[in-house]
Amino acid sequence: MIKLSINGIEVEVEQGTTLLEAAKFLGINIPTLCYNDGLSPYGACRLCVVEIRDGTASKMVSSCTYPATEGLKVFTHTESVLKARKMVIELHLATCPGSKIIQDLASKHGVRQVRFKQEYEDCINCGLCVRICEEQMMAKAIGFVGRGDKRHITTPFDIKSDVCRLCGGCMYICPACQLRCHGPNVQEEGAICNACLNLEPPCVDYFDDQMCYMDPCVVCEQAADRIPKSER
Amino acid sequence: MKHYRAHLLICTGTGCVSNGSFKIKEALEKEITKQGLADEIHVDTKGCNGFCERGPIVIVQPEGVYYQRLKVEDIPHLVKEHFIEGRPVEKLIFVPPKEKQSVPNISDIEFFKHQRLITLKNRGRINPEKIDEYIAFDGYDALSKALTQLTPTDILSEIKTSGLRGRGGGGFPTGTKWELCHNQKKTPKYIICNADEGDPGAFMDRSILESDPHSVLEGMIIGAYAIGASEGYIYVRDEYPLAVKRINLAIQQAEEYGLLGDDILGSGFNFKIKVIRGAGAFVCGEETALISSIEGRVGEPRQRPPFPIQRGLWKKPTTINNVETWANVPNIVSRGGEWFASLGTENSKGTKIFSLVGKITNTGLVEVPMGIPLGDIIFNIGGGIPGNKKFKAVQTGGPSGGCLPMELLNLPVDYQRLAEAGSIMGSGGMVVMDEDTCMVDVAKYFLTFLLDESCGKCFTCRKGIQRMLELVTDITEGRGTLKKLELLEELAQVVKDTTQCGLGQTAANPVLSTLRYFRNEYLEHIVDKHCSAGVCRQLFISPCQNACPADTNAAAYIAYISAGRFEDAMLELLNTNPFPSVCGRVCDHPCQLKCRRNQIDDSVAIRSLKRFVGDYFLQSGKFPKMRVPDTKLQHKIGIIGSGPAGLGAAYFLARLGYQTTVFEEHNVAGGMLAEAIPESRLPNSILAQEIKAIEDMGVEIKLNSKIGVDISFKDLMNNGYDAFFVAVGMYGDRSLGVEGEDLLGVFQGVDFLRDVNLGKPQYIANQRVAIIGGGNTAVDAARTCVRMGAKEVTIIYRRTQEEMPAFLEEIEDSLEEGIKLITLAAPVQIIGDNGKVTGIQCIRMDLDIFGKDGRRKPVPKKGSEFIIDADVIIPAIGEFADIEQLFEGLEVETWDNGTIKVNEAGQTSIPNVFAGGDVSTGPATVIKAIGAGQKVAESIDQFLFGKNNKTYPWRIHKPADVEFDMDAEPVEFSRQKPNRIPLEKRIKSFDEVEQVFSKEIAIKEAKRCLRCEMEVELLKEK
Repeated sequence: MIKLSINGIEVEVEQGTTLLEAAKFLGINIPTLCYNDGLSPYGACRLCVVEIRDGTASKMVSSCTYPATEGLKVFTHTESVLKARKMVIELHLATCPGSKIIQDLASKHGVRQVRFKQEYEDCINCGLCVRICEEQMMAKAIGFVGRGDKRHITTPFDIKSDVCRLCGGCMYICPACQLRCHGPNVQEEGAICNACLNLEPPCVDYFDDQMCYMDPCVVCEQAADRIPKSER
Repeated sequence: MKHYRAHLLICTGTGCVSNGSFKIKEALEKEITKQGLADEIHVDTKGCNGFCERGPIVIVQPEGVYYQRLKVEDIPHLVKEHFIEGRPVEKLIFVPPKEKQSVPNISDIEFFKHQRLITLKNRGRINPEKIDEYIAFDGYDALSKALTQLTPTDILSEIKTSGLRGRGGGGFPTGTKWELCHNQKKTPKYIICNADEGDPGAFMDRSILESDPHSVLEGMIIGAYAIGASEGYIYVRDEYPLAVKRINLAIQQAEEYGLLGDDILGSGFNFKIKVIRGAGAFVCGEETALISSIEGRVGEPRQRPPFPIQRGLWKKPTTINNVETWANVPNIVSRGGEWFASLGTENSKGTKIFSLVGKITNTGLVEVPMGIPLGDIIFNIGGGIPGNKKFKAVQTGGPSGGCLPMELLNLPVDYQRLAEAGSIMGSGGMVVMDEDTCMVDVAKYFLTFLLDESCGKCFTCRKGIQRMLELVTDITEGRGTLKKLELLEELAQVVKDTTQCGLGQTAANPVLSTLRYFRNEYLEHIVDKHCSAGVCRQLFISPCQNACPADTNAAAYIAYISAGRFEDAMLELLNTNPFPSVCGRVCDHPCQLKCRRNQIDDSVAIRSLKRFVGDYFLQSGKFPKMRVPDTKLQHKIGIIGSGPAGLGAAYFLARLGYQTTVFEEHNVAGGMLAEAIPESRLPNSILAQEIKAIEDMGVEIKLNSKIGVDISFKDLMNNGYDAFFVAVGMYGDRSLGVEGEDLLGVFQGVDFLRDVNLGKPQYIANQRVAIIGGGNTAVDAARTCVRMGAKEVTIIYRRTQEEMPAFLEEIEDSLEEGIKLITLAAPVQIIGDNGKVTGIQCIRMDLDIFGKDGRRKPVPKKGSEFIIDADVIIPAIGEFADIEQLFEGLEVETWDNGTIKVNEAGQTSIPNVFAGGDVSTGPATVIKAIGAGQKVAESIDQFLFGKNNKTYPWRIHKPADVEFDMDAEPVEFSRQKPNRIPLEKRIKSFDEVEQVFSKEIAIKEAKRCLRCEMEVELLKEK
């Protein structure tokens, strides 16, 4: 068993557990996009970054891939982590403004503006489809092609795959191309939906008062930020 | 063994081979046989010498004569001269550009002299394809010592003692890495040599593999023995065919000699090495991506931990080091860890190989001890920047590294200091950049590279780089805003923090490090929409226009001259500059330095063309009158100082309809132009005519009115002026601060020139004059003294001749006129007798560490004092702003150096008082002063009428409607030099030295222009 602390709480987990799983075990919510319980972790979307500290040195790692190691100190909601996550969401949103999943994430994390040029793509190269095809459907019909900004997902040689059974698993799992956001301003340049602003503060979902150890709890502050001033 | 009189060692590194070194070898052998010298002279191929840009290189041993840039047709001459006549061939020998004297012996060449060869000790002396030659120079000695006398633990402790750190970029202690891997229980273990060198401009690893492949093999075998590995891989990129060939050959030879394979040297230790060729993905240099590439999967980095030493190749413990690290190992084992640790700095031991590329005189590969100052590498070994350009930055560590500015030239190069300065050691690439490099464009270049080379897995790397590139491109194309810059910084930080592998984490470095030291350049692009390096094409019309502080569209008037339309040319000139004839004589012509024609032969003689047009109209008396509005504005502007800034502002304000009055302290208008520039460079009549033209536009010039003396500024402010422009220049002469300055015979530089120019008698005839300083004032004073019949004129300057701020042609002229130049000397005291100067005591200076301006600081050399006999001493070491009297009773903020503080608009702390020219910027040039006048005219207009989007007439640049065939070859016509009056006549009179172009020559010269402004039209169409 490996002992580590997350947000100051000591926890013991089995060898091979990731930081994301350990946090989940404690009921701490870390947002993810390319992670799925049934698939191997990949670490592509970088939304699940957390801060790990060793003495004064600290760095951010993706919690879905980083293994729990003895004595590690993990912080899931520090100011820099939240700031980075907001930027990651903004980047995603600029790429796929039509995705409801990403729009919801934006609302939940207080992303109120997109400062980049809108792209209207329907893929974020998270690789969920590639993994479901390989790991769950045992088909390996699709995969990544190319490098850098030319990277995309396709079948070998871009032709219809013989091994594809048209199961639809890839579409089912896609966070970007399937469920569309029908919010008011999505088609507008730089606009985001934010129709889900009236979502309850995220901590209510996952913590009760006794579980809240953060002082001040930054998560709620993020939520408070979203409540119109008059109603605070 | 056969003995030869001489050995000809031909370099066969990639650089020399691609320049034809094998052909040279053939030709040499043929010629030597032909001359019957085959028994006396031996020709052999050797590894890379590192001076790659000079290939093909041949070194004649034993005398060590170095020949460069050989061509097949040179060979017969070379063989005859050198081996039969015994004379080294002068023209094929290295000539340092500055000294201009050839250096035949390789050990005397600066590039080689300062290097310390350890890893590269065999370079240029062994044939990389013959194992016997490697063994002859103690090769595989360390291996036999390791296998027969040392245990693996001994080796580990030796490597740890040496303090060797990974040379691939990370800088992880090699000994520690090996030990961790050694302690792993899983077997088998692997070792990997990372030869996937991909940084732009880096070629250290390639050179080692090509010139000394066995040193890498030996290091790997020793490493394998220490770690307990049974198999090794060399991952080398396929773009290095020569390296692949030679390392394969080396493995084959080592196997034949029993140095690789089973039971090496009878020790019972078995080890094999395989070569894997990489397809050239930059990201495969990252260790986990490299491992996955060897395993046959896509080269994508994975999460660390687990680290390769725990779970590497085929999920087994793996040690991975780069080529240079492995090549260091044999030296450490044979000479001991302590010896290695004695080199370098506290936390960076040994030597490091750097590839010195970019805007540098000596391009090539150098090995130096860790801790050597950055400037020593660039200026001593690298020979500085070619083409009289100024050093701007050096990029270390490849795309992931950073750009270091000239303030850091004294930085000792080691892992820690580079990291502190915001860069990294990386694999050792050093890309030198000069003033023509735009740092925003550099960031753009590296981002483009990384966008292509990112594996694309992490969203923040792939999209982050793309977005950063978008933002930087916006900035370079004039669409930048301060908000975008803020976003860029925020994004860069997030990309750095949240990406998984080394490539992504450092992908933001091109942006972050250029922002750290060159934020001003970003702001210049964003706020002023100007790229002073002249790179960002969308921001200007032509490089010459971009370089001109007064925004003169030189390309347009040159086009008109080429068509013979002189009136159009003159109007174009007068649009931005009221002093065409003056500037045609004394401008420092920044336009010419940026002229693209330079890349073909020589720049267009822009200044001479300007003078031609100006003089053409002055002489014909048809000086075109600039249009002024018929109805004048009611606003009155007071201008203090009638130099180029003051008169310039008056000219531009008059064109807007303002009533302007210029106050001049002396009895002649023109400021420094009239007073400090001698007749021989600028005849007063020319200046007077151009000033007259300004007066004709309604500008009133009041001579002999010194504000602060004749009338106080306060009173003037109540005289109905709406705004003021203070352009009084720098008039106070700075004192030398040495004893004896009050002696009779000491004149201040500017005072002296003014007295001569204004006709006061000076007694210089038959006197010995010593002038102190290196600027134009000093040189002008010296040339004036010559003309006044001085017996002997000496200029004393504390730095070198190249560093003199005076115009190059002026310095050359003055030397021609018999003026003595003593550089690297400074005055200690002025000696006198009976209150009269008899001489000056000076001290020699040595150049020491680099100052903030990127120049080496001169420091006095103790005990080197010497005396120069002189009757007259003229200090001309600079001026300061003398404004106390002017502003008496008023509070005006000034900088520490006495210049007036102004905002971007040129406004001082008193709202309606503006300042510009030298008095606010410090000593500058005529054209800068005119530019300041332009800007202040706009500021005053906006101050009085509020901010408006008005485009001022002088900012409108209409393209010249002169036909030009862009597809035609450039006109072949070499640059024309204006005629000059003969030397004998020159030194006896104040006649103007340089003569004006004739009409025919001017038109021909103008046709040399490449019309760069047409390109912008093309860009716009796109």
